[in-house]
Amino acid sequence: MTIPYDAVNTKSSRTFERQAEYAPKDYHEHLFELEHEGEWIVQRVPEPYVEVMTKFGRKKKIPLELTWHHKSCGQCGHIPGYSTAIFWLNRKLNFKYIDPTDQTSCTAWNYYASATSNAAAQAGVGMRNFAAAYETGYFPIIHCGTSYGHYKEMREQLMHHEDIRHQVRDVMKKLKKPMVMPEEIVHYSEWIHAVRDRIAAKQTLDFSNIAVAVHPACHYYKLVQEDAIYDPDIYGGQRTATVSATVIALGAEVRDYSTWFDCCGFGFRHILVQRDFTRSFATRRKIEVMKEEANPDVVITHDTGCVTTLDKSQFVGAAHGLNVGVPVMSDAQFAALAMGAHPYRVCQLHWHSTEYRPLLEKMNIDHEKAWAEFQEDLKKLKSGEKEYISWEDIDA
Amino acid sequence: MASDTTLIIGGGPAGLEAARLIGDLGQKAILVENRDALGGIPIAEHYAALTHGFLSAEEAMNELINAAKANPSVSIRTGSEVVECSGAAGDFTVKIAKSGNGVGESINVGSIIVATGFQHFDPGRETQMYGYYEYDDVITLADAEKMLKENKFVTPSKGTPPQRVCFIQCVGSRDRQIGNEYCSKVCCGISSKQAIEIRQQVPGAKVFIFYIDMRMYGYWENEIYWPAQEKYHVQYVKGIITEIIRKGDRLIVRGEDTTMGRPMEVPMDVVVLAVGMEPSKGTKEVAKILGVQQNKYNFIDVPHGLDPTATSVPGIFVAGAAAGPKDLDDTMAMAGAAAMKAAALIAKKSRVTA
Amino acid sequence: MGLFKDKYPDVAYEEKERLWEAVKADSRFPAYLYGCYECGICVAACPSARFYDFSPRKIAQAAAREDVELIYEQMNDDVWNCSQCFSCNRCPRQNSPGGLITIIREVSVKNGLRSAKQALEGYGRVIYKIMGTGTQVSPDMLQPDAFPDWGPQVREVSAELDLWRRALPPETLHTTSTGWQVDDKTIIELYLIWHNTGVMDMIAAVDEGLHMILNDVMEEKLEEAGYEV
Repeated sequence: MTIPYDAVNTKSSRTFERQAEYAPKDYHEHLFELEHEGEWIVQRVPEPYVEVMTKFGRKKKIPLELTWHHKSCGQCGHIPGYSTAIFWLNRKLNFKYIDPTDQTSCTAWNYYASATSNAAAQAGVGMRNFAAAYETGYFPIIHCGTSYGHYKEMREQLMHHEDIRHQVRDVMKKLKKPMVMPEEIVHYSEWIHAVRDRIAAKQTLDFSNIAVAVHPACHYYKLVQEDAIYDPDIYGGQRTATVSATVIALGAEVRDYSTWFDCCGFGFRHILVQRDFTRSFATRRKIEVMKEEANPDVVITHDTGCVTTLDKSQFVGAAHGLNVGVPVMSDAQFAALAMGAHPYRVCQLHWHSTEYRPLLEKMNIDHEKAWAEFQEDLKKLKSGEKEYISWEDIDA
Repeated sequence: MASDTTLIIGGGPAGLEAARLIGDLGQKAILVENRDALGGIPIAEHYAALTHGFLSAEEAMNELINAAKANPSVSIRTGSEVVECSGAAGDFTVKIAKSGNGVGESINVGSIIVATGFQHFDPGRETQMYGYYEYDDVITLADAEKMLKENKFVTPSKGTPPQRVCFIQCVGSRDRQIGNEYCSKVCCGISSKQAIEIRQQVPGAKVFIFYIDMRMYGYWENEIYWPAQEKYHVQYVKGIITEIIRKGDRLIVRGEDTTMGRPMEVPMDVVVLAVGMEPSKGTKEVAKILGVQQNKYNFIDVPHGLDPTATSVPGIFVAGAAAGPKDLDDTMAMAGAAAMKAAALIAKKSRVTA
Repeated sequence: MGLFKDKYPDVAYEEKERLWEAVKADSRFPAYLYGCYECGICVAACPSARFYDFSPRKIAQAAAREDVELIYEQMNDDVWNCSQCFSCNRCPRQNSPGGLITIIREVSVKNGLRSAKQALEGYGRVIYKIMGTGTQVSPDMLQPDAFPDWGPQVREVSAELDLWRRALPPETLHTTSTGWQVDDKTIIELYLIWHNTGVMDMIAAVDEGLHMILNDVMEEKLEEAGYEV
């Protein structure tokens, strides 16, 4: 049974008014204190930036451009349309960015899966990446939800544990790299949220007949809970609003379902070596519930692991006769499609597992024509006419 | 010049009782109440029965109100607030105004009793996902009292009597993330009382209470807890709910049944949040105006071990929930003790002066 | 002596105590465990609790009681079921059962417990990839035999891999052995981090073969860059 649209714009007769007196202490005080004591440099958010509201009312600065893109190993590895869409959005909005090769994975997927690392090593990896960004003068923006949550935790640990901080400082010295902590740790979906009206202004497709089920990533909002976007107009400020607000701005319908707060079941190690858990959880607790209660045209989420889990698990679910079969993509790919991005050249939907073509048809995208265009690109690569496809090749 | 009058700030049960007792002792009392009506929270929030012996809250409060009003030594100002205070024990100068109106009158008092009480925790600040601002069918203890008083306990979104009701304890209390680490003392008793009332008014309803601990001090155990379970078949489950979310036309509550050791998800029609006590706006404002110390949670701090009514300022006493979570037994006892001390101070000073 | 019959009587009590002390010695421990009043919120929110006989509440309780025998049992039998989602961070006492588990797992890896080795069987290739190249689950790992339950689409991807990767507009993604192009200098810095924080020793404790391979690869690159290991 479908749960109606206005479930998002709270149907309750009550309005929550946040009182400033109950807000927790702003950790920025500590951040700047440590800078003052010479423990690290705090890289300031460059202007222009947009301010968004976080859980307890604190405003968070989101840079619009001059961003250093901390890529996601999972996205780049097997859902490259996700990363490509993020870059494409930046390009279409004329925002300057860097796509670095001087970047390692945050390595948190491995850490949460295998524990073959420790707090100092993880913090070392994170700080090395932040230093690399700082050295270019551009501000880091994080592509993966787990990287983002992991780095927020790392920030806490480095602020409060002198022993870990000094151990990492010694390692940075060996690498001849500065100790730099960004003023904000920014997730790309927060950037999309911050520029959603600009994206909507350039929208060429009508999404008013598209029904969406939103899946919020655990590591985005459950780690360091105060630092995540909340909006009084979305669910009365009681649930994280980042992706829901974006989907609404694009004119699509957000539908609620009763396992909204549930994890997708990625599990970090489970999706690779204990797969029965991941595929059972993703299909039974998320996809089946979404289909039965919301019947969405698409599932939108904002993390690598979530897209992977929810998309890839449906094949085996279908083989077992479960009620599955709804395409899954990121908010970045969804927003890009709204702005007229090519479903294959930009959104790279051919890497996705669950059938997405009926969705494209509903969006009035001629996917057969698009596929033919993409095949033409591939022909050029096969023949040796081109070695690689570039941004210039696909710009209209 | 020493004064012969005690100022009582707050016209709830504590303030009313203190005022009457001071009058009975033959001394003068001025009672200032911010709201237009007396009776404090039990009246303002339409309480049905008090946990104590299931007395009608309205009747019990009216008794206190009438006793205070009837006493010629007690002077009452409603719709008023204290805006300034100076001086010391025996000789305070206090300015009172009509609420929001600036300075009205200046009075001279010998003792002050703070009885400004509490407010309920706002569920919008809760760590868990209770959806109070998403679903009308999630209500607080106060919302439930109102319905019970009118003998119309219904599922708010439908207007019909519910089949399944549950209480969630410790909402806004015992929580390090919110900062209210303390226990609000009365909610276990109140929830059990309300559960009994619901079973009385809606006999077809199944009622659950999800708890961390059941705080049933003294005679609450045998007067409330055992009858709730044995006579009214209220289901007590040890395990707190973490999420409330709509499924179809009902609410799903999710928790762990820790006794059985497994996660549970059950549909409910109405969920009652047992919201805890916090210092009221009046308590916080008056503390600053009078210069009395507040504790970590912004209640009036009671620094002296065996004296539950003392504040950090000699001559200023506290009674009731302004000092922290209290039940009515505590409140009435404190009111008596505070009245005694306030009157004694005045009596001593007048002997000295004479 | 705990409250229950010891499941691992062959392991000395002192050894179990030593491992528990190692958990407590982690800087993060005090922030992960305060007290537990058994409200069950963590279990209610936990995805693993629905599929396994797993309870973050029991992890927190055993730790709070310092029942080293029970903790040792959990270290071996339970902690690898956790999906590290941190839904349990809703704890009103501000415990983090998931965080406790992270520390417990690290201690078990560092001490080469058999259960850790077993848990990481089949994961060695991924550890090699992430530690050796700085990216994880690279495109060339998308083989049908590695992901049989992802369906025939994986076969299609792996057949067209090289072509499809060259068809990606971002230049950094024109790779198949790594997720994106990583500078040599960057990889060197990564190796230095692993070597200087004790991670190599942890790998050696759970997978000697993997350690050897990684060490060889890293040593070669580090020496080329002029570093002594």
